[in-house]
Amino acid sequence: MSSAWQFYISSVLIYLGVDIMACWGLNLQFGYAGLVNFSFIVFQAAGAYTAAVLTLGRPGPASIQQYLGGAHWPFPLPVLAAGAVGALLAAGVGAIGLRRLRSDYEAMVMLVVSLIATSIATNQTNLVNGANGLDLVPKPLAAVLHVSPLSYQWFYVAMTAVVCGLVFLLVTLITGSPLGRSLRAMRENERAAAALGRNVTGLRMLAFVVGGGIAGISGAILVMFISAWSPGSWLYPETFVYFTALIVGGSGNNMGAVVGALLVPVAFLEATRFLPQFGPPGFIDAVQWIAIGLLALVFLWFWPRGVVPERRRRFPRARSQLAATEGGQLEQNAP
Amino acid sequence: MSSPPAAGVEAESLIVVRDLEQNFGGVRAVAGVSFSIEKGRITGLIGPNGAGKSTTLDMIAGATRPSSGTISFQGRDITRLAAYQRARLGIVRTFQTSSEFARLTVMENLLVAAPRLRGERLVGALRGRWYWRDEEQLVVERARELLGRFEMTAKEDEYAGELSGGQKRLLEIMRGLMAEPEVLLLDEPMAGVNPSLARRIETYLLELHHSGLTAIMVEHELGTVERLCDPVIVMAEGRVLRQGTMPELRRNREVLDAYLIG
Repeated sequence: MSSAWQFYISSVLIYLGVDIMACWGLNLQFGYAGLVNFSFIVFQAAGAYTAAVLTLGRPGPASIQQYLGGAHWPFPLPVLAAGAVGALLAAGVGAIGLRRLRSDYEAMVMLVVSLIATSIATNQTNLVNGANGLDLVPKPLAAVLHVSPLSYQWFYVAMTAVVCGLVFLLVTLITGSPLGRSLRAMRENERAAAALGRNVTGLRMLAFVVGGGIAGISGAILVMFISAWSPGSWLYPETFVYFTALIVGGSGNNMGAVVGALLVPVAFLEATRFLPQFGPPGFIDAVQWIAIGLLALVFLWFWPRGVVPERRRRFPRARSQLAATEGGQLEQNAP
Repeated sequence: MSSPPAAGVEAESLIVVRDLEQNFGGVRAVAGVSFSIEKGRITGLIGPNGAGKSTTLDMIAGATRPSSGTISFQGRDITRLAAYQRARLGIVRTFQTSSEFARLTVMENLLVAAPRLRGERLVGALRGRWYWRDEEQLVVERARELLGRFEMTAKEDEYAGELSGGQKRLLEIMRGLMAEPEVLLLDEPMAGVNPSLARRIETYLLELHHSGLTAIMVEHELGTVERLCDPVIVMAEGRVLRQGTMPELRRNREVLDAYLIG
């Protein structure tokens, strides 16, 4: 395989890993807990900015980019900090947006949060360098490894896979436990869940904060790979790409989130790269958004449970019980 | 059926409601209601539509905060506690309309109700399956016993949303029992249920009553109330009109007027 193809495939795999992590975070919030978080991309952005600032070092007075703070933290501390910032930001936003609002108003608040966050990051030029964003973010361990760019690409693929594995462990431990069952019960009927002793506000905050943390980690992995991050990278429609991925793949199922990430942000959007250019400049990009919207609608109408639907949980019976049940059935069937 | 409790014996009362009021804007749905609930009895709450029965039940369950008045449970003031905190104390309710967790199986619906599971907390969940698996197996067995008792074993793996209306009512009662309640608040448990299933539900409730269940039941079907409840509280226009046994209430002019005119 040529180097160019290897570069392309490894890049796609890294994007896939980032998108899978993001979809798991959103799946925990939306698929399991029923939270319509239209500001999801903000938490990914917060993680990306955090990781960038904590690896770029302090900006000098003559620096081409200005931002708050700055440090040279060794890998993987910036990634962990990105997760922590994503979670903390989610705790702050959740405390305002999740405590007392109905889900439709909650979705509106989240959309507004997304718009406000982009506006602040764009206009406060000293915060994260305004509309120009941050550039020249150092690649983790590149100075230590001393390998060719292509080898580094594959190293980054492996590193992304390891982080994906850890995030998968976290989400499956939560969603496969009685806690995950409580989240799904809350999604189905909050009033009934509260009447059975479930602290609905606490559960919503938990899903929101853990999902925010995962979004932050995904942002960190992305920014360290592409080395740049600006408000144009995280406009609110990006959240709808992840929502479409969950709708297509199957929300409430972590494997559905993987399939969705593979089909929508990666396969569907990558496929448009190979379309011949036609129409006015920017036409293909605009068509991409229309196609994403249509894809979500088509699945909601005809295939609302997605490609990999939420699975039915069955509880195995002990052997002695099975024998007793079968014996009882035989007795019932006897003439 | 047991004899009615002596008036004013609050020391034995499980729940004491004092001067409870609920105003929705300008509408006074509940206007100074006081009564007490004795342990081991099913207390009926009856009255014409709009009498404030369900609102009173909502306030006891913590679904709505009273405008004024107090509610105490086992001698503790719980007026300001949230619904989930009251449920954890043992005040568990069912709803007038179906409130099943539709995309969870019948078994899962029951397991959600089981209190104090180890894997319920984040730390417990993160410790992995081995930490909570054995306890969960015990809870599953308890849920299976309940399913057997209510003749719903065959429905264990069905989604709750796919059950018939009557089966959903049964599920809701089972879920309430699974929560190990000190007191069960039943909001019209027979509503929308066919007569044969209603009789079954009544039989189940009678069995539970004999095994010591404490409950408050809002119900319109007076025959059922007569067979299950003692005492019965009659409400009208947001107030308690009368309290007593059903035969006593049937002879009371005020109660008859409230039902016929109300």
